[in-house]
Amino acid sequence: MSSGNDASTRAQKGAAAQGRARGLDIGWTVFGYLISGMLAYGGIGWLIGRAVHVALLFPVGMLVGLAISIGFIIYRYGKQGAVTRSPRKGDDR
Amino acid sequence: MIGDVRVVAEPMAPGGGCHLFSGCGFPSPGLQSFDFKPLFSIGSFPFTKPMLIALLCAAAVIVFFWAAFAKPKLVPRGVQNIGEIAILAVRDQILRPSLGRKGDTYLPFLVSLFFFIWFMNLMELIPLFQFPAMSRIGFVWPLVAMVYLLYLYLGFKHQGFPGYIKNMIPWDVPFFVLPILIPIELIRFFVFQPFTLGVRLFGNMFAGHLLLSIFILATWYLASFSVGLLYAAGSAAMVFFVFGLELLIDLLQAFIFTTLTAVYIASSLESAH
Repeated sequence: MSSGNDASTRAQKGAAAQGRARGLDIGWTVFGYLISGMLAYGGIGWLIGRAVHVALLFPVGMLVGLAISIGFIIYRYGKQGAVTRSPRKGDDR
Repeated sequence: MIGDVRVVAEPMAPGGGCHLFSGCGFPSPGLQSFDFKPLFSIGSFPFTKPMLIALLCAAAVIVFFWAAFAKPKLVPRGVQNIGEIAILAVRDQILRPSLGRKGDTYLPFLVSLFFFIWFMNLMELIPLFQFPAMSRIGFVWPLVAMVYLLYLYLGFKHQGFPGYIKNMIPWDVPFFVLPILIPIELIRFFVFQPFTLGVRLFGNMFAGHLLLSIFILATWYLASFSVGLLYAAGSAAMVFFVFGLELLIDLLQAFIFTTLTAVYIASSLESAH
């Protein structure tokens, strides 16, 4: 009886640790997309702005990048169950 | 400039007599708190306190695990008990959740990384050392470089160069969106991820050390036979609070760095991120 409880507690702890690792990963990935979107398109906007002498293209690029990132985050992580995907075949975590 | 500030800061040491209403202002700790005079020099190479701390931490990790597992017994006793608990904690809380059983090969690397970072962080709370070496960013970048080079090496080894590049692209989006997302993915992968991995650890240690220094110095500065004594008591309470908080943050930052390393290794071993 107690060994059954131990196994269940161990499984619960394992699932909690897995949830923590996944949460950390997804949290930083989402944050990464937001910042990277602004950096990438802000950079492209700045380069084009420098070429055509329109300084406004830098902030516009950043906003466009932010919008693209938000759209992608919603597309990838906004679906129900997107975060708590089922384990793959052979996954022994 | 730094030398000038030091001259002002020196009277703040116990016995200095610089208190509230004594005519000298509060020289709050700043960047000068992170600069150290060389302990000695080897040729033109100055050897400073953070370097000594880093060496001692590396030695502490080696000695601890050597003592625990040099002559392992089937029934663990003494240091081996603590060593096993330490290794199992990293395995069950950091490695297995991200990598599964197949990742056990990387356990020695993750254990070393976790305990080295944790010991380096804990040094801010140990008297005489009282400085987190990770608050000097030069100690963080080599760790980030080590993790990221391993991440890339494993990715290329397990997926091949074309496969690895292919797997970086988010194929789950409509085809026409792909060219829009590629610059974002490239920046995230090559700039954001390594940058945040390092800066997160550095920033937390830097801020923690600064916060502790401010409250410790403020307690000393405010301690006088005036209303300042009341504020000094408040500041002293904050020292204990921040001390407790830093105990937690030291562990948490080591945990986050090692967990993200495990997550990166896992994504390199898998066929898709």
